[in-house]
Amino acid sequence: MIEFVNVSAAYDGETPVLRDVSLTVNDGDFVAFVGTNGAGKSTTMRLMNGLLKPSEGTVLIDGVPTSELRTSELARRVGFLFQNPDRQICCQTVREELMFGFAAQGRDDAEAARRVDEVIEQFGFDADAEPFLLNRGTRQLLALASIIVMRPPVIILDEPTTGLDFRECEKVMALVAQLHKEGTTVVMVCHDMEVVADYACRVVVMTQGRVVDDGPTFEVLRRADTLAQAHLVLPQILDVAQRLERELPACPSAIARAMTVDEMARAVEAAARKTGAGADADDAALSAATNKEGEAR
Amino acid sequence: MIEITDFSFRYREGASPVVSDVNLRIPEGTFVGITGAAGSGKSTLTYAMNGIIPHCYPGDFYGSVRIDGLDTCEASLTDISRLVGSVCQDIDSQMVSSVVEDEVLYGLENFGVPREEVEPRLVEALNAMGIADLRHRSIAGLSGGQKQKVAIASVIALKPRVLMLDEPTAELDPASSEAVFQLLEAYVRQSGATVVVVEQKIALLSRYADLMLIVDAGRIRFSGTPAEVLAHADELLEIGVNCPRSTTLANRLRERGLYAGDVVRNVDGAVAAVKEVLA
Repeated sequence: MIEFVNVSAAYDGETPVLRDVSLTVNDGDFVAFVGTNGAGKSTTMRLMNGLLKPSEGTVLIDGVPTSELRTSELARRVGFLFQNPDRQICCQTVREELMFGFAAQGRDDAEAARRVDEVIEQFGFDADAEPFLLNRGTRQLLALASIIVMRPPVIILDEPTTGLDFRECEKVMALVAQLHKEGTTVVMVCHDMEVVADYACRVVVMTQGRVVDDGPTFEVLRRADTLAQAHLVLPQILDVAQRLERELPACPSAIARAMTVDEMARAVEAAARKTGAGADADDAALSAATNKEGEAR
Repeated sequence: MIEITDFSFRYREGASPVVSDVNLRIPEGTFVGITGAAGSGKSTLTYAMNGIIPHCYPGDFYGSVRIDGLDTCEASLTDISRLVGSVCQDIDSQMVSSVVEDEVLYGLENFGVPREEVEPRLVEALNAMGIADLRHRSIAGLSGGQKQKVAIASVIALKPRVLMLDEPTAELDPASSEAVFQLLEAYVRQSGATVVVVEQKIALLSRYADLMLIVDAGRIRFSGTPAEVLAHADELLEIGVNCPRSTTLANRLRERGLYAGDVVRNVDGAVAAVKEVLA
């Protein structure tokens, strides 16, 4: 569990970038921090793993202030994926990179080697490849793998999908979702609101160094004042749902509450059938199918 | 006008061409969006358009690339850079100064912009990116997104005829990403310049680009207006390009025989499509 108690932070000792923040990340949470650039999200992440110490207030990890924890102990409890993997990768081969965390803890045992081998197989890495010659997506996966191999109970991901293409993004996030399912606490900063809506269970909204909203993902994303205050852009399907709820005279609740493409498509289909448009659709679908059969013949 | 004819390129250390048989004619004043999976050749294509290839990355260069009639193989990089302003993917590698104001001034002074024009162009560029308040800030203390805005402001201040940006919104929040695209669109419309953006956020490209290019395995697989390109949703997915969710929603409704209208490329279109279905 990570607790922030009235935390403020400043890089130059004068201008606070985080102002009186109090929040708790519980074990097993999957929480996304969202907000504009400069809102204090990355600073919050750095405070969570002790890279930065608060200028006021206390950050506690499992009840112990980060100021009292040794760096190695912090690293054991909280894994941190930097926004740019090149700031994290420092070894000559993929295997060395994955062993780096163990080596830093003075471990070079058979158990460490076995876990590295497991991760190499799981990710399909070439163990002898030079990390800096890998493409951006693979470097991001390697940086993530080098954290996962240490099996920290908490992982912090600072913009894990930045610069990744669609497939790479899906691969990284599927892995993160699996880790969460297995009990890892996930804290992520993410600008991609589609990724936030797809994966996060809880959203913390920050603006100008303060937390302005905190709650279950879809409750937060339905609060218009929060969205406006933090200049958030809604995921497209939620945007469609909210627009239809406002603009249709009797919008079915299934449409207004749809969160995914499939949910929305099903809700619209059900509503169309109810209004009679579905009968036409059935005819159209039947006609299209018949025509296709005719073409095939 | 950008003219690319039978262009192929293999990096010196590469085994095979990264870009093959590209033919393109981009009229002046076009907002071009390029996307594709990682490693598909998008960045290489832009390096060819701003002269980085062949001037900085040697290799086997076939065909020709002309910007406003200037052959990028024959012209010097200095001459090309007067026509083409570039914003790199890795912003830190582009920054040369320690203070925001100096970063914008660097290009203006190096290009010999008359003294009386320097201040107005500096102010205009900072205002356009919404970072006037950062003018005297140290670059080292800026967030990734703020640095990205500084980099774009530095290039816009030079008023290039072609503005080329490699993933300019990668580190920006959604509202800032939107603001950058609005700014680029305004730049195209007001100055008549050409803007070429490599971008993974296809929802943004589909709303702003006049011409979308989908690169796959070094070749231009699809080229056309966003609506024309997004009509190939299944093929795009096969090559690792996902359509905006509003497009996918309309496609699902089409598959169910509920919607037979145009290809949807944004939220407005999806809302209209659902209303049409329920009408």
